[in-house]
Amino acid sequence: MESSSALETTIDKILDQTQKNILSSINLALTDAQKTLDNAIPRLEQEYDKIISDGKKEADKIQKQIVGSSDLEARNKHLLALEKAVENVFTKALEQIANAQRNGDYANLIKSLLEKSTNILGTTQVIVYTNSKDKDLVKSTLSQFSGAELSAETIDCLGGVIVKSKDGAMTFDNTIDARIERLKPLIRKEIASKFGVGN
Amino acid sequence: MTEGGVQYSKIAEIKGPLVIVDDVENAAFDELVEIETREGERRLGKVLEVGNGKAIVQVFEGTTGLSISGTNAKFVGKVMEMPVSKEVLGRVFDGLGRPKDGLPDPIADKFIDINGEPMNPEQREYPKDFIQTGVSVIDGMITLVRGQKLPIFSGSGMSHNLLAAQIARQASVVGTQDDFAVVFAAIGVQYSEAEYFRRSLEESGALKRSVLFLNLADDPAIERIITPRVALTVAEYLAFDLGMHVLVILTDMTNYAEALREISAAREEVPGRKGYPGYLYTDLSTIYERAGKLNGKKGSVTQVPILSMPSDDITHPIPDLTGYITEGQIVLGRDLFRQGVYPPVNILMSLSRLMKDGIGEGSTRADHGEISNQNYDAYSRAQEVRALAGIVGKAGLTEIDLKYMDVGDVFEKEFLSQATDENRTIDETLSILWKVVSKLPKNELTKVKDKFVEQYYQEK
Repeated sequence: MESSSALETTIDKILDQTQKNILSSINLALTDAQKTLDNAIPRLEQEYDKIISDGKKEADKIQKQIVGSSDLEARNKHLLALEKAVENVFTKALEQIANAQRNGDYANLIKSLLEKSTNILGTTQVIVYTNSKDKDLVKSTLSQFSGAELSAETIDCLGGVIVKSKDGAMTFDNTIDARIERLKPLIRKEIASKFGVGN
Repeated sequence: MTEGGVQYSKIAEIKGPLVIVDDVENAAFDELVEIETREGERRLGKVLEVGNGKAIVQVFEGTTGLSISGTNAKFVGKVMEMPVSKEVLGRVFDGLGRPKDGLPDPIADKFIDINGEPMNPEQREYPKDFIQTGVSVIDGMITLVRGQKLPIFSGSGMSHNLLAAQIARQASVVGTQDDFAVVFAAIGVQYSEAEYFRRSLEESGALKRSVLFLNLADDPAIERIITPRVALTVAEYLAFDLGMHVLVILTDMTNYAEALREISAAREEVPGRKGYPGYLYTDLSTIYERAGKLNGKKGSVTQVPILSMPSDDITHPIPDLTGYITEGQIVLGRDLFRQGVYPPVNILMSLSRLMKDGIGEGSTRADHGEISNQNYDAYSRAQEVRALAGIVGKAGLTEIDLKYMDVGDVFEKEFLSQATDENRTIDETLSILWKVVSKLPKNELTKVKDKFVEQYYQEK
């Protein structure tokens, strides 16, 4: 009986001790877990902030991409539409020039074109080319330029003259087409300004 | 300039990129010339020399296919001009400033001589405003300021083009509502690279505020002489007429210098170092000195020219002479590149001379200068320790040496390394700089004031 009671006491002691150990381990684990959780919260918050900030950056980037490309697309369509309008105005203007009356003003223009061309080339010993419409007018004006000859060959242009030195070394293109080509960027700007662009 | 428009048909000689025209009476230096081939094709050129009835014309689009008979040279009577207006933003041009994007010529607000007008030195304003590139190593340690010229010295095959595109996409001015624009001039680049630049700006939405000039590797070399000049002309217009802050990226200036050498050789000039003309320095300065700010003008032109050093040789005439003109340099390192670090900036060889004026309280953050110096110091020490470890082994190092080695690794992995689409704010950059030096004990931070250490040191 006695030995059995001693055994029970011992067992109780061991159980007690084990219970204490287990409880202590549980408490320790609980504290550790709590600590880990406490430590994790700021890290989690940091991670959360980073994810939010990265997301914001990505959203900004995508917004910029979408807005940027749409703006450009719209601008490019506007540019093409403007160019088409400018070209239309140009074509109409050229048609008007081509059909212009060969009157006194035009004769003065031809004279001044010939004067300018011979001045630039530094000689009146030149061969002059013009279109079939202006041939007679140019021929009569050339009498004022000694040594200048009209070529039998005609050229395809709106008006004006091409002047070539007799040795063939120098040529000056003073046709209306060439003058328009030289001034085209300025004329385009002028036409565009009528559409309210570049003011 | 003389009255233009006369066409001459006596071609005396065609030599390399040069055409010598005979019996020319009224031509002027730098005058624009239209060369017409027998087939009616037109090419542009400019007068290099006039005298004794002859004019030497440099043909931008090359002389291939030209013959003495049947070629005409028309002297236009003006220098080469670039039509400019706000509409150039978002456009792509070729190396001579002609549209390359299928759109019409921009309606010009002005026509500006591409050689630019020299800036009056007395009118220059000292550059001191920060530009954020979003690239940590540049913003944190080689800070770029508005109006500065800061070249990137690279080597063949290295990631300078990636870096250039990243800067173009991300660069911005902080703390102001002023408009910002990027002018990007690609000089002699491959088609794939040009496409990368274009697509990269387009996809990031940055093309809207950019102007691209693309001179491809298979375009005539002589065109490269013009590309940086047309780009800078547009930049100056945007900056000083429209009041924008403009960042000009010129890549690759080595190709520009090669083109200059080609012309010089064709003109039979006495060659200087490595065959480059003796006036290479003067010529480069006519490009680099077009950066700056002017008193009373709102805008600024900042330049980042990129040049690949032949054989990675920093003493080569191109980087050497560039370094004399510019205000510092960003050097890319082959070792870092081989390790896969991007951007592979060799911080110990790099320097921004104007950095100190563009950072600190009111610009970036009060601790910027000091934390940058501390990192420079720590990384420099880390390199020494690495060299020592190569001899005595890690076991022979002291505890503090090991910490410096650690700093070197963290510096390269976390600060230097950055994704090509990662845009870091200056605060993020400075925070990483603090993270790097926080690997060291506090008493090692001798370049930073205690109050900053207390505020920013990151305890483990």
